[in-house]
Amino acid sequence: MKPFEFIDHTADAGIKAWGATLTELFENAAIGMFAVIAGEEYKAQGSKIEKKIEISKNTDNLEEILVSWLSELLYIFNREKIYFNNFKISSLNNSGIKAEASGVNIDLYQSNLYTEIKAVTFHNLKIEETADGFNCTIIFDV
Amino acid sequence: MAQAWQGKLEKLDNFRWKIPPSYKPGMKVPGLIYANESLLPGILNDKALEQVANVSFLPGIIQYSLAMPDIHWGYGFSIGGVAATDPDIGGVISPGGVGYDINCGVRLVKSNLILDDVKPRLEHLVNSLFNNIPSGVGSSGDIKASAKEEEEIFLKGAGWAIKKGYGVKEDLEFTEDKGSIEGADPSIISERAYERGKNQSGTLGSGNHFLEIQVIDEIYDEKKADAFGLFKGQVTMMIHSGSRGLGYQICDDYVKSMASCLGKYSINVPDRQLACAPVNSPEGKAYLASMKCAANYAWVNRQCLMHLARNVFEKVFNKSWSSLGLKLVYDVAHNIAKMEKHRVGGKEKILCVHRKGATRAFPLGHPDIPDAYREAGQPVIVPGDMGTVSYVLAGAIGSMEETFGSTCHGAGRCLSRSNAIKVCAGRNIDRELFNKSGIIVRAKTRSTLAEEAPEAYKDVSEVVDVVHGAGLSTKVARMRPLGVIKG
Repeated sequence: MKPFEFIDHTADAGIKAWGATLTELFENAAIGMFAVIAGEEYKAQGSKIEKKIEISKNTDNLEEILVSWLSELLYIFNREKIYFNNFKISSLNNSGIKAEASGVNIDLYQSNLYTEIKAVTFHNLKIEETADGFNCTIIFDV
Repeated sequence: MAQAWQGKLEKLDNFRWKIPPSYKPGMKVPGLIYANESLLPGILNDKALEQVANVSFLPGIIQYSLAMPDIHWGYGFSIGGVAATDPDIGGVISPGGVGYDINCGVRLVKSNLILDDVKPRLEHLVNSLFNNIPSGVGSSGDIKASAKEEEEIFLKGAGWAIKKGYGVKEDLEFTEDKGSIEGADPSIISERAYERGKNQSGTLGSGNHFLEIQVIDEIYDEKKADAFGLFKGQVTMMIHSGSRGLGYQICDDYVKSMASCLGKYSINVPDRQLACAPVNSPEGKAYLASMKCAANYAWVNRQCLMHLARNVFEKVFNKSWSSLGLKLVYDVAHNIAKMEKHRVGGKEKILCVHRKGATRAFPLGHPDIPDAYREAGQPVIVPGDMGTVSYVLAGAIGSMEETFGSTCHGAGRCLSRSNAIKVCAGRNIDRELFNKSGIIVRAKTRSTLAEEAPEAYKDVSEVVDVVHGAGLSTKVARMRPLGVIKG
């Protein structure tokens, strides 16, 4: 199963992500988002930085958790310039997520394919379950 | 490939197409799309029309869910979408109807320079602008504001910049809303929004934001051009930017928090990105007061960018900016929601007008336009792609009758960013533009150049011809690019 692929969107950017489990789907969606940011070929180098991420939400909706998860990573990226490339989710359910993410500090212009994501949108976002696992399409405002 | 739009679309005349409310149960009003036969195939192949239909679900929407000819697929609203809601009948405000880059907009600066004055120094000018105007992702600038001043920026908009010496009072006169909307409330802005907005005033940003040096190559309406101080052969400068990280975060905060309003106010919308709340509800009021902070911040940003650019001109030409005649023609917002007076069924109403990739286009005589332009109408600034042309239009009567005083905002994309990069693979866009048209382009990344290549956009002249033909705004002048800096 592919972790993710880019999809065509006229004005913005999008990915379709897959996962055998929900946890894998969330991890792959994060990998896909950073591929939108720095390009698929980008190889980050530098010393490893780890961050703990914990989101709890009063919601019954996994899509809300997914957008909050990606938005949180994007927020840390914008604030601390950490390019995350490794994600380990330890718990995930309708009311929150606990994870560790690691990556490296990057100079925003090291990658010539740099794209600024303004936000993770809810546009037509639906996590679908199939015989092989889960998938979803996420549109980013760029 | 089958076209994306399989629904009904009724041709009303050469410029207007209607989506009947029967297309989708839940549509409260029809969709009305401004286009001509040559733009239509592109529109039908995009997913934007589904979004026009979705917007018509918004409670309290009046008359039509409107789409300008530069319409393309966005998220929630299409880009190029206009919707007015009536608060008296439960009308809503939707952060998705404004977008993440709150008060993204364009300003046009004129000069008393002509092409021959600029040509010998063009490369030096463009390089100096590129080196002195912070651009690119997350860029931060030299214009700093203390925490207290940040609040003042949110409250007072461009007036703050003038107070700091980044411009003159006259600049405010020629800015939509005089560079500040009343009713901003800095106390309800999230900490994250504050943080993301910090130090980004006077920075261009990335993506489709730009600063362009242009020359007027065509005048369509001498009288209006004269009123705006424009003439053939004149050098102008256009600045396109918005509210940067601050606006993104405010939109993000409210798209998330307004999810709960859908249940609370029994609102049915087909896309979660259309989350909204009644204009008169606590949530609606809070969004509007927050959005105004970002709108005011964006006007400060464009004012500071113009100030930095004026400084560069002064150095390059060794003259003061005022003796170079670098006066602001006008500044327009094209991602915003405004409470405005409009006539509905013969009665005057205060409506909430969402413009998402659409420009206000008030006609002559409207009290909200500068005295100097009262006889001409409000200037509408329509940037094209970096290889073709841009336009100045003037608001026309038709906009008040049909589109709540709105018109188009640009060329509108026709290729996705990834497709544009594919199409441009192995090409040197800046060299092509220089060899073909003598346009000097400086950009932070090569991908920006490919994403923003002329092929990625619709023909802006077609777009402008539609709004002109439909009577929403009239053509005044056309500019072609000489030099462009991009983030």
